[in-house]
Amino acid sequence: MSAAERPDRVDFLDKVTGRAAFISDLDVPGMVHGKVLRSTMPHARITGIDIDAALSMPGVIGIVTGSDLGGIDPIWGVSLKDRPLIAIDRVRYVGEPVAVVVAETEALAEEALDAVMVDYDPLPYVTEAAEALAPNAPLIHDGVQPLKDFYFKGEAKPVAGTNIFQTYAYETGDVDAAFASADRVFEDSFDFPMVYHYAMEPHCGIASFGDDGLTVWSCGQAPTAVQKVLSRIFDLPIARVRVITPLIGGGFGGKASVKIDPLVATVAWKIGRPVRICFSASESMLTARRLSATVNLKTAVSADGMLQAKSVEVLMNGGAYADTGPAVAIKAAIRAIGPYKIPNLRLRSTAVYTNTVPGAAFRSIGGPQGVWATESQMDIIADALGIDPVELRYRNMLKRGEHVRPDLTPIDVDMAEAMGLASQAMSRLDAQEPHRRIVHGTALGIADPANSPVAGVLLRLKIDGSIAVISSSIEVGQGIREVLCRVAAEQLGQPVAAVSALTPDTAIAPFDWGTGASRSSLMMALAIEDAAADIKAQIGDIAASTLGLDPARIELVAGGFTADDKRYSFADLLHPYFGIDSGELIGIGRISPRSRGGALAKAPLFWETAAGRCGITLDEDTGEIAVKRYVSVADIGRAINRTGAEGQDEGAAIMGLGHALFEELIYADGQPVNGTMIDYHVPTIDDVPAQFETVLIENGGGPGPGGMRGMGEGAILPIAPAIANALATGFGIRVKQLPLTPERVWRALQDKKDR
Amino acid sequence: MRLAPFQLHRPTELHAALALRAQFGDDSAYYAGGTELLLALKARVLRYEHLIDLKRIVGFDRLARDGNDLVIGPLVTHLRLATDPLIRESLPAYARLSDNVGNIRVRASGTLAGNLCFSEPHADPPALLCLLGASVTVHGPNGERSVPMAEFILGPFTTARADDEILTAIRIPLPTAGEQFCYRSFGHLEYPAVGVAAAYQSQAGAPRYRVWIGCIGDNPIHAEPVEAALAGVPPQALSDVLPQAAEAMAAELPATDDIYGSADYKRHLAAVFIGRAVLESAGMPGGR
Ligand SMILES: Cc1cc2nc3c(=O)[nH]c(=O)nc-3n(C[C@H](O)[C@H](O)[C@H](O)COP(=O)(O)OP(=O)(O)OC[C@H]3O[C@@H](n4cnc5c(N)ncnc54)[C@H](O)[C@@H]3O)c2cc1C
Repeated sequence: MSAAERPDRVDFLDKVTGRAAFISDLDVPGMVHGKVLRSTMPHARITGIDIDAALSMPGVIGIVTGSDLGGIDPIWGVSLKDRPLIAIDRVRYVGEPVAVVVAETEALAEEALDAVMVDYDPLPYVTEAAEALAPNAPLIHDGVQPLKDFYFKGEAKPVAGTNIFQTYAYETGDVDAAFASADRVFEDSFDFPMVYHYAMEPHCGIASFGDDGLTVWSCGQAPTAVQKVLSRIFDLPIARVRVITPLIGGGFGGKASVKIDPLVATVAWKIGRPVRICFSASESMLTARRLSATVNLKTAVSADGMLQAKSVEVLMNGGAYADTGPAVAIKAAIRAIGPYKIPNLRLRSTAVYTNTVPGAAFRSIGGPQGVWATESQMDIIADALGIDPVELRYRNMLKRGEHVRPDLTPIDVDMAEAMGLASQAMSRLDAQEPHRRIVHGTALGIADPANSPVAGVLLRLKIDGSIAVISSSIEVGQGIREVLCRVAAEQLGQPVAAVSALTPDTAIAPFDWGTGASRSSLMMALAIEDAAADIKAQIGDIAASTLGLDPARIELVAGGFTADDKRYSFADLLHPYFGIDSGELIGIGRISPRSRGGALAKAPLFWETAAGRCGITLDEDTGEIAVKRYVSVADIGRAINRTGAEGQDEGAAIMGLGHALFEELIYADGQPVNGTMIDYHVPTIDDVPAQFETVLIENGGGPGPGGMRGMGEGAILPIAPAIANALATGFGIRVKQLPLTPERVWRALQDKKDR
Repeated sequence: MRLAPFQLHRPTELHAALALRAQFGDDSAYYAGGTELLLALKARVLRYEHLIDLKRIVGFDRLARDGNDLVIGPLVTHLRLATDPLIRESLPAYARLSDNVGNIRVRASGTLAGNLCFSEPHADPPALLCLLGASVTVHGPNGERSVPMAEFILGPFTTARADDEILTAIRIPLPTAGEQFCYRSFGHLEYPAVGVAAAYQSQAGAPRYRVWIGCIGDNPIHAEPVEAALAGVPPQALSDVLPQAAEAMAAELPATDDIYGSADYKRHLAAVFIGRAVLESAGMPGGR
């Protein structure tokens, strides 16, 4: 295919023609199918599981329960070792896997599910974080073991004898003194609900044990974490656990770290045949969700609106198992600071177990929760002081190079520029339809991505000039394969059509921390830079020894290189070198905290930022908000794939729109009541604002090649508070709880009337 | 979950379908678009050994004018009702209702007959059909009978149709000239929380309004007190009477707290949409 015919992304043709193979499309020889029987109880002892009737049903091969785990380590986790592979004697939330029926077909496995009889002895349960903290609350775990530096750097701090699995505290300056002497002190509490990731493809996996160890086809966003957890469970050498990650239909953190692979592998281990387990969307809703939060803010301000102190107190509902919740809890507190100069700062965060779906990473972990609170309160302060909210933000804004927190790297973008561009773009949209009465709201968001500078890539330059990029970065719809191809092409001076990115496979791809935290484009670009340098050095050496050329005069061009005005193909170089007209050069790029003279170890490696401005109308009779216009601005340093980057930004903003207006996983009597895609509304194209603009600033200044930063998570941050701020500005109501459903908004309007 | 195994029967005429139902009894159910039936079977809240598919029955897709009636066969989908020129011209309010049902997949396979037989209390069609004076024809082993729409829906998921009867037609009398209709619904979930159907007729000197309220009660509610309060009020004067009448009516509605909203909010919505639907039917602004 010529460069002109090449679509914008390497995976587009396969995806739009339906050729692309996802895990559920794969067929491994001898494969059988598992279906999961899930707990119907929020908290209970399992007093008996009768599998006999189910075992005698047509096609059923076996049934795996918590009593089958002898010989392997049945408890796992990534922050805390707290999670059984499958319920052992006790269930902790509705939806927890209790048994897996394995049959020749998925349909037969499902047919037999009903025949498995589970007897429960109910235990008291809690679904709210505040209930879980009560002195007489039922204890959901009897004791859990923190895993230090296991996945994230650091270690969770659970409190023994309570449901608390993480506590975090940070303090700088003299917060109490600042509160005591402040002109004004604002105290507000904000609520953010449990929301579901809704990746279009539910969780899915295939596992197979053979002479060469364990192979899994995984939907996990962190193949090496999956590999490590599996190696511990089955006591297998890491090198004998192979994780292959085909195209994945969305993750958003719902497939981050490790999710269903331990269960799938356990069933394959027990049954002795390759096993495939594919969840339905409703099952995926029972697998992971965002941690809900209550964020209490106390902020001291001078009469002219200068922030003097801020105390952030976060309480998070982490569900039945900690998963990556301990990291989320820390980030929620940090991401509640905002891009403001605050000399005295106190951060506290607590995350608790409850009898609900396990909380997990979700696009900008803890970010939307923290930013929802802080950016709502900025407008509350502005309103009370009679200062324009945008002006209040300008007054307190950190300049590039100033510190958000003394121990974190200074902010590396100009947030004032981003906010100004948001206002300008909105003015342009307003001018297109000047007669319409639209109310505006603004919010900003900054996040410190956990970038873990541990990554690697292999570049294989073939004798014909084609290039394979081998990495562990998974294609989850975000377009990483295109980025890998473009960066490799750029670094080696080759046409992008010559490059392909291979399916991640831990058997051949170098170690990488994982796909998440806005890190893959950046980390892989850095690794590719090194791998390309490695290849260039090899070309120089071989050209000197084989062709007698001066390496310093070699310049890569499409299909080969030039030296002293003479053009050489790669075959001109490699054929004499290898003696046969075949072969390749392999370049290795490895990123560690010591790379680039230690520069990649600083935390955060860059700030992921966003400015959002919305234009809304409100039906005051029904409380229904219509977001007519939205502008999303981010300084990403440099775009590798502009349309791809815009798509990521738009997607993040619209995902945030769902959190703002519709989404909430609701519990009643310990049961999730809207756990289907019919009852749980995610935004559709009809919900997207009619006028939507993404402004990507390419000011450079990021740590990657050409000054790039990571991106893709920022735009989810400001949209909810921007809408709530517009409601307050235009209609005099301040809603502190998401989602902003019509009834909630209507009730706020009623309360205002009654006041 | 997926469907439990079942046997599919595809009769091509009504009596064959009735005979299959007689043969298999309660182990069988009629199957039209499947948008409700298949979901219920997948969720395993219903289970049948035999499905009697109505989609091949000759003539069941009829959508025609029959004298002064519109006749809607049991295979006519919401999408057809939204787009067919006959409906768009003679009953534009009904076409608009159909265009708002669920999403395009539901409209393209879901039938009006299936909607009525399923009798989900939050369905859109019943309120407007009651207002239009529609009736349904059902066919059972003992022949055919006709049931006025207002008597067909008995409550959530229960209708006047006997389990073995097939709904063979929905008949809507064509409105007289000068009568204008409107249906308005509102909700933030897949189904509406409230729906209101209103009609306005400009009889010389004596304007007449009719109102039915859907989704809030177990079956459509005839808002007779509103009609009485508005009788004779010219459209221009509605604003003096309508808000009070709508609120008084709404206060009496049997709303309960559920995921669609709290009872007081739903009553308020009913008042709002009684107002909007009446104003819009009378061609007045304010019916946004
Ligand atoms: C996601 C979603 C959103 C929806 N949103 C809305 C909405 O906004 N407003 C609204 O009003 N509705 C809504 N619906 C309901 C939709 O209108 C109905 O699902 C559809 O019209 C049912 O028709 P069907 O042909 O698919 O019925 P089926 O599913 O085939 O049948 C439904 C029931 O009726 C019986 N049945 C069907 N036809 C006959 C017949 N001719 N005689 C006797 N029995 C029969 C079946 O046995 C079954 O019990 C929604 C549905 C879904 C799934």
